[in-house]
Amino acid sequence: MTTYTVYKEQLPGLFEKWSKLYALHVPARLREGFYDLVPWKKDLEIAWDYDVAYNSAKRFVMPPHEALITYDRRTCEAKPVFDAPKQILFGVHPYDVKALNQLDQIMEAGSPDQNYIRRREATVVMVFEPLTVSSSAFWASVGASSVAHGFDLYWTKIGPAAFTVEVGSVRGEELLGMNGPLLASTAGDKEGARRAKARVLAKARKNALRYNWEETPRLLAKCWDSPLWRRYSQMCLACGSCNLVCPTCYCFDIREESDDQLETGVRSREWDGCMLEGFAKVAGNHNFRPKAQDRYRHRYFRKGKYIYDKIGELGCVGCGRCVRACTAGIANPLKVFNELWEETAHEY
Amino acid sequence: MNTKLFSPYVPRPVTLVEKTPLSDFVTRFTFEQDNGKPLAHKPGQFVNLSIYGIGEAPFSISSPPRRTNITFEIAVRKIGAVTSALHALEPGAKVGIRGPYGSSFPVMKFVGKDILIVAGGLGYIPLRSLLFYQLRHRDEFGRMILMVGTRDPKERIFVDEIADLAKSGDVEVLETVDMPDSTWKGNVGVITTLLPKAELDPGNTFVAMVGPPIMYRFVIAECRKKGIASEQIFVSLERKMKCGLGKCGHCQINELNTCIDGPVFCYTDIEAYQEAI
Repeated sequence: MTTYTVYKEQLPGLFEKWSKLYALHVPARLREGFYDLVPWKKDLEIAWDYDVAYNSAKRFVMPPHEALITYDRRTCEAKPVFDAPKQILFGVHPYDVKALNQLDQIMEAGSPDQNYIRRREATVVMVFEPLTVSSSAFWASVGASSVAHGFDLYWTKIGPAAFTVEVGSVRGEELLGMNGPLLASTAGDKEGARRAKARVLAKARKNALRYNWEETPRLLAKCWDSPLWRRYSQMCLACGSCNLVCPTCYCFDIREESDDQLETGVRSREWDGCMLEGFAKVAGNHNFRPKAQDRYRHRYFRKGKYIYDKIGELGCVGCGRCVRACTAGIANPLKVFNELWEETAHEY
Repeated sequence: MNTKLFSPYVPRPVTLVEKTPLSDFVTRFTFEQDNGKPLAHKPGQFVNLSIYGIGEAPFSISSPPRRTNITFEIAVRKIGAVTSALHALEPGAKVGIRGPYGSSFPVMKFVGKDILIVAGGLGYIPLRSLLFYQLRHRDEFGRMILMVGTRDPKERIFVDEIADLAKSGDVEVLETVDMPDSTWKGNVGVITTLLPKAELDPGNTFVAMVGPPIMYRFVIAECRKKGIASEQIFVSLERKMKCGLGKCGHCQINELNTCIDGPVFCYTDIEAYQEAI
């Protein structure tokens, strides 16, 4: 794959050009310890050393509220809505791209979700190799420390003012070359990128699963009746925060809103969460997962087994967002999986 | 760029042509497809029905597949927002539908065999699509036994239809209510009490059952007692559904999506899933 070396001084010019064609989002510090991707503007300081964006990238391809159809009550006709803004996500970490790739597989399977697909196609993803690691993250131990596809450019900081940029798509290469000829990376620069990756990996491995992540579905298959589910879930507030911040949670509700004459309206999907009390409740008030314990276990089975059985990857990329978001301190895939591993260790 | 503009979320219009009350809360609705084509569903499948401005909800199709007829039926209990709005409609009104969606009863497997249809409460509604499909090809099947259980006599639905079936001799009908009143002369007890009353040939009998969530494990246990194997038992399960496409996550039974893997399951395929029954 082609790799170019780009210098920091070239960035303002490139950002200027890109922002005329795309909505450009870059990582920035919101306040101490809180980072997010925000719209780029001139002189905005880019948080190169951010550990994790408090929102995941899923909101750019599957917004919290997204119109699916418009309808007219008078004629009973409905039309699809496809909204797909051209956008660049600059500086997304590899584990978040891994999550996007997972959403791709799920939304494209079976009956393809064109709303998602069109948004994804209009989104340029520029990965940035992390420099620091959030204290709750464990992505290095769940196979999410790098991605081989799903991005347009892959940026690695190799010095105070230099980057290597690996090309992932023709579109990415064209965007990178908008301000003139590009400089191919030397072997030394590539070695610098390799070392930068090794440095961050060393930090990221401090929090790790105690077993090979590929074992997770087999582990969970033995743990349906574990006392752990009750031990943790009795603290659950059923607030759904873990679902909201999760880069791989994609469950949604479908709702609609009519105009004030009740003639036309919009039907939309909105993020939903399997931890919320009414998630599996049907008309007549029968709830198929009435207890917090049922819902809590379901979420971990989804992350560790159901998604895996579908696509061969863990449904958790180890970003650690849920760990930080959970007010009860019970959302922690690393802790849950490790404790289940300990519990069943004698069975191996 | 993908230029395909098809969205699976867009319903198509159908027109309400007939509305028949079945009990105080349950009504049968007959719709006609505005596109002039038959619905082309299989017995046991469902549609997602939209009343714009109120919402969308899944309903089992109650009528059997029809080759040329463009009508189809659902029967609905008035219980929530969409079902209440549906009950307020009059013939001529239009609603939107998506589907048919989901798996169906494997009628071809039933050819030459006896069929036991177990309908608890509103379970008769989806089972009707199977029952009348088989009746249209009555000669191709063995005995047909229908068991119907209802909470109390006032809540019985399709009362005349079921009485006619019994009279016709095509179907052996056994009926019970949980809580009898002074008008009730028949069997009393939950639906499981009917199973010991029937002489069945276990090796040659398929079972199709639909009812409230609590019913399945008890009826299945009775069937197993009779010697009917898991692979001869078919159930249709209810779950909350939103998208009907296997995406939104609401209808999951462990890793299965009820909307695309179900609602009709062979019992062997779900026996191992803790959340199924």
